[in-house]
Amino acid sequence: MGTDRSDQPANPLTARTATVVVLSLGVAVVLGDAGVVTLALPEILRDFGAQVWGVAWVLIAFNLVLALVAVPAARVCVRGDPAVATASGVIGFAAATTVCAVAPSLGVLIAARAAQAVGGALVIVGSLELIVATVGVERAGVRRWAAAGVAGAALGPVVGGLLTSAFSWRAIFVVQIPIVLLALPAAIAQRGRVVPRQANVDMSPDRPHVLANLALALLSAALTAALFLLVLLLVDGWSRSPAVAALAVTAVPVAALAAGPVFRGVRAGTRSEAVAGSVLIAGGLTGLALLPGAELVWTLAPQVLIGLGLGLSVDSLTAAALRDRIPRALHGGWTIAARHAGVVVGLVILTPIFTADLRHAQTPAEEAIARLVLDAPLPASTKLDLAEQLGRRLSAERGRVPDLRPAFTALRVPTPQKPAAAALERGLEDQLKRAATRAFRTAFLVAAGLALLALAPALALRDRSRS
Amino acid sequence: MRRLALPLIAVVLVTAVLGVQIAAGGGHYVPLRPANPCEPRPVPPIAPQLEPLAEQIVLLGLDSAACRLGISRERLVLALAQTRTLDPHQSAALKAGLLDAVDRLERQGRLPKVSQLLPQALDQANLPGIVKTIIEAIPDSVIDNLLPTAPLLHQTVNELDINRLLHQLNDPSQLNSVLQSAILQAALRQILDRLRP
Repeated sequence: MGTDRSDQPANPLTARTATVVVLSLGVAVVLGDAGVVTLALPEILRDFGAQVWGVAWVLIAFNLVLALVAVPAARVCVRGDPAVATASGVIGFAAATTVCAVAPSLGVLIAARAAQAVGGALVIVGSLELIVATVGVERAGVRRWAAAGVAGAALGPVVGGLLTSAFSWRAIFVVQIPIVLLALPAAIAQRGRVVPRQANVDMSPDRPHVLANLALALLSAALTAALFLLVLLLVDGWSRSPAVAALAVTAVPVAALAAGPVFRGVRAGTRSEAVAGSVLIAGGLTGLALLPGAELVWTLAPQVLIGLGLGLSVDSLTAAALRDRIPRALHGGWTIAARHAGVVVGLVILTPIFTADLRHAQTPAEEAIARLVLDAPLPASTKLDLAEQLGRRLSAERGRVPDLRPAFTALRVPTPQKPAAAALERGLEDQLKRAATRAFRTAFLVAAGLALLALAPALALRDRSRS
Repeated sequence: MRRLALPLIAVVLVTAVLGVQIAAGGGHYVPLRPANPCEPRPVPPIAPQLEPLAEQIVLLGLDSAACRLGISRERLVLALAQTRTLDPHQSAALKAGLLDAVDRLERQGRLPKVSQLLPQALDQANLPGIVKTIIEAIPDSVIDNLLPTAPLLHQTVNELDINRLLHQLNDPSQLNSVLQSAILQAALRQILDRLRP
């Protein structure tokens, strides 16, 4: 795919900037969709009365279909007009998003998410060509496209959590529709202005950059853990509201956006950036596996490590995967396929691990609760009352972290014993948080292992300094 | 050198963060583990009333029974709460545990005298007023000589229907009355045994 800007009128700078901005927004929205519903999953689960594994498909369906159709969508862009492909993708994505917003059942929601991914794939790969064509400099265009993707992926869960808290999970989809539609006039205006280089397509498209794409896939699998597992730990394990969880996980996107300005001056090269990024992501995930308490502040430093790693490695690896390779859209499609295949692999590996660990955490949690209740300085009759109530709560929420507050609300405690009952309630909540935090440890460590695996392809990369 | 700078910075940052977390107890933030039931736990002061005494005997008894069964006290309690029935082996272990608890409190001089427990027991007992008045008129020393606490509690435990007791766990007030009635019956039997020629 080549760019022929000779026949287009010299766009005013503001018009070009506006085009790049709206196309980047489209890319960010589509790639943000990979994780945007993460914080909404508990609410979707309640709304549809579904099981955790079923609801996980709301995430998996989008990422799986995006991984599968990214390369075919890129071929469509290469063979036709990327502007038309992008415009079609925007319309398809907006239509599917509308269905998501009004989905009457989990099945419809999952199907619409799959359709979203098909439209989204066209938006992403088509926008790569359009952004590069509009910017006029290949490396700068690719970097903007990659940065939009990183920003979308990192901000997705945060925005989704805030919208779920403020309105409902359906608001996540409602908000996306006008934003992505902004890209439609920009795409239509580019029609016929990006001319395909037919010879390259038909004869010898460059082979995909295996090492960079493999590293991207492994890091994406690890990053899934960072966002998906962390928000689940905060909301389900530590009983934080989606809004608080969303604000807490902003540390990742903030650090990711800061990584460029902080480290770009070093000009260490693609391999160094990818290696450092993998180490930072693996270290941050290990930090999340070794949390010393259930206070949000303990998650911040590991999140900053993950964010810095994300900012350093993903756009560097994406640029490496695209550098000097044509057709560009096809190689952009490969990077998207690799990243989202990584997300799916991450979800498929990690979801059973942490759900099994959550089930296994039940026994130590029950024993800790029994110990505290038995040893509490309360009358035996109060303890028996409480044990009965706690038993009901534990049975009602089997397989999930129970909310013990109703057990204490229903408890009739003589006034002199109220401080002891309050201390017991705090103690029991602490034990539940300890059990939940412990239950996520293995999944975080496995995710850290995936990030460390990315070191192998990263170390094998040919190093080229950034200009 | 420039190529090594970023990986080195990354390693330093990761080491610093993990170092702080491990120093603050990272890796040890886990639920409280059940105590070893075979290690005797300290006994707090016991108010000379039936409920605190019964509670302490049950807590110590659970430890001893769990030790005999080779499980934790907490696991035993959770199993009892779930099944509400015991096989003969568990029932025997529980009774033996309760008897161990009485013996331990007796050895430590922590058992209150029966005369100290009597007023509360009489208040709650379903006895005719005249009988209560007569019992109250008996001097404490006579009662304590006639009914030493440890043998009385031994007899209570031996005659206790553990499975029936477990079924009362849903209703703490009923549980108290079952316990009191068991103690009163044991007391009556002890008195009759003493009075027999």
